[in-house]
Amino acid sequence: MKNTVPRSTVKKLLSKHKPHLRMRANTDLLVHLNVLLFLHRLAIETRTNAIAEKSKTIKSRHVRSSAKVVLKKSRG
Amino acid sequence: ACRGKREPALPSKFVKNVFAHCVKMPVAKDAFKAVENCVNLYFKQLSDDLEAYANHARRKTVEPADLELLMMRQGLITDKIPLNVLIERHMPLEYRQLLIPVATSGNKVFPPML
Repeated sequence: MKNTVPRSTVKKLLSKHKPHLRMRANTDLLVHLNVLLFLHRLAIETRTNAIAEKSKTIKSRHVRSSAKVVLKKSRG
Repeated sequence: ACRGKREPALPSKFVKNVFAHCVKMPVAKDAFKAVENCVNLYFKQLSDDLEAYANHARRKTVEPADLELLMMRQGLITDKIPLNVLIERHMPLEYRQLLIPVATSGNKVFPPML
């Protein structure tokens, strides 16, 4: 797996959502870490969903149903 | 096709790679679309939270401590798993060096602690 962080994209995304907010140096890396962990959680939840349905592949409905749970869990 | 200014978004290839790496199962094509949608929603939620934290501390700058608090509230950081362990597990070396303070020769700490 390629292991570099698209740093400028992360920064741009944050400034798109909150244009007046500034970031201390290297904070974007922590944001990226957070996104990685979120994806990890989502993946595990989706996987258990798919296995419970005895489906061999992951379908979009599995993702959608697990997204609801995981997004709720990761509120700040 | 015109390639004008696009909305900034995390590269879809990156999202795809990470997700596929974590699930360890074949993934349907439209499922990746759902994942990307999810990531966009997540970013919105994340930036709202960060703004709230910074405003509450009467700052205009988001600091690393805000993210630590966020991850604690999300249940990612626990008593057994501190932030530095998460960084060590998930970030490659060159970024880890920027995030975790380490004493170098002459008892200088890099990066400087806040």
